Amino acid sequence: MWATRIGLILAMAGNAVGLGNFLRFPRQAVLNDGGSFMVAYFVALLLLGIPLMWIEWGVGRHGGAFGKGHIPGMFASLWKHPAAKYLGVIGLVIPLAVLTYYTYIESWTLAYTFFSITHGYWGLETQEAMLGYLQSFQGVSPTAVHAVWVPFAFFAGTLALNIFVVSKGISGGIERLAKIGMPVLFVFAAVLAVVVLTLPPGPDGHTAGDGLAFIYTPNMAGLSDASVWLAAAGQIFFTLSVGMGTLQAYASYLSKKDDIALSGLATASTNEAVEVVLGGSIAIPAAVVFFGVSGAVAVAGSGSFNLGFVTMPVIFQQLPMGGLLGFMWFGLLFFAGITSSVAMATPILAFFREEFGIGRERVAWGLGAVVFVLGLFHVAWLEHGFLDEWDYWAGTFGLVVFAVVEVILFIWIYGRQNAWHSIHEGADIRIPTAFKWIMGFVTPAYLLCILGWWGATDALPILMMEVAAGGGDVRPEAVPYIVASRALLVAMTLGFLWLIRLAWKRNHYDDRAGFVEHEEPTEAFIEVVV
Amino acid sequence: MTTAAALFMAASWTFVLGLVVWCFRRVLKSESARVKH
Repeated sequence: MWATRIGLILAMAGNAVGLGNFLRFPRQAVLNDGGSFMVAYFVALLLLGIPLMWIEWGVGRHGGAFGKGHIPGMFASLWKHPAAKYLGVIGLVIPLAVLTYYTYIESWTLAYTFFSITHGYWGLETQEAMLGYLQSFQGVSPTAVHAVWVPFAFFAGTLALNIFVVSKGISGGIERLAKIGMPVLFVFAAVLAVVVLTLPPGPDGHTAGDGLAFIYTPNMAGLSDASVWLAAAGQIFFTLSVGMGTLQAYASYLSKKDDIALSGLATASTNEAVEVVLGGSIAIPAAVVFFGVSGAVAVAGSGSFNLGFVTMPVIFQQLPMGGLLGFMWFGLLFFAGITSSVAMATPILAFFREEFGIGRERVAWGLGAVVFVLGLFHVAWLEHGFLDEWDYWAGTFGLVVFAVVEVILFIWIYGRQNAWHSIHEGADIRIPTAFKWIMGFVTPAYLLCILGWWGATDALPILMMEVAAGGGDVRPEAVPYIVASRALLVAMTLGFLWLIRLAWKRNHYDDRAGFVEHEEPTEAFIEVVV
Repeated sequence: MTTAAALFMAASWTFVLGLVVWCFRRVLKSESARVKH
């Protein structure tokens, strides 16, 4: 179980605070008209993010009362129907898929932490040169600076660190990591924000204040653009780590006597403070000082990682103690990443431990071996869009599908009144009644709008290969890799469906009768996690 | 930075930081109450 409540909130916040807070948020703000985006962002936080946070904590704790720390079990505890457990397959496929490619991206941050402190990229003072360095590291550049084995080695090392943490359990591994990693992340981010905001004017006279002004200048005309609202809703979705099965897995280790209403809000607000105050005060203001507003917009539009891995290293080289600042930037990204990736392993571990009785260390290192093999495809075939496919189907569209299913089960099938009561059991605060209506009608409608819009504008064209999942046209030579990437996702889904069926048969579960509820977590359940 | 941008930024930061402070004060308060019981 969780050793302390602060540890639980830090672990939950660590799960939510990820690479997206520092890389995706500033990019989305810049690409969606800054001030307009921020208005839509706060509306989405209130109507979508915070309600979903409470719903996911509620689903998780409800499942935990039946000894279920994984999504198929949680869904089956909400809906006594044979289909419920199979719907839960998305709560196993998504975390496994995202864990695989997220750990790979996380390994870039570990590598760049090392390159910063050793001045590995020093002397590459233009964005073109740094882009070449990044592509060389990724193995997608014809002119290689790095040996072929380097990205594989950093991926293996990062994955081993992740698996080591989860193999130590909830309180002994994940909570301990959060108690160390989150304060380090806060300190590194705060120091970097102060350094950036006190930078002298750049070559063209731009200041960090110009960057903040771009983000925060309210532009009501921009709010008539639907894409701004969707981008803001999407960012809220990703930043809070909802729709992945991780928050539920962590919350399943709580009893009915524990508060989830205040803890859920504390988690969401911690993530928002890190994103809005710290995430918005580093990359964009720094880029504006050195390259102006138009330059920062161009960089943000040129690629998901260019702001963080290309522009920032160029800037650090212009600053005193740049190596140390680079170390802190990539170090904070690494801690943001690892506190999220360990959470992704948790629901998968819970499934195998609870349903098949496999020892914690065995299942953790077994999962590590599977992720390593799957990750090799991403490392080797990055340039062919293999990762982009998983990022879209599992890490983007899949999250919304997951949330829609979960909201329907918890709010509409389990019942709005039951859900509201469940969230308030042991609560330290009373949630305003308005949120009962928001959770019941506004949040599901919001989710269905996002699903419908993305389905029509993105998912269909990507599915038909009219556009690439990573943007742009599909190159003919990339088609076999895209097909292989999708085939692997389908195979994973079928494999997990078979395992769910096997688990239910093996344990003689009766779908219509449901599971036995326990007042306190059972000894077997505690054995699984501690 | 325009006055409107400065005000919007101040409101945004106050909202998120205020919420964090309020939440953690309530958490610490309820934890100390639980310890006393």
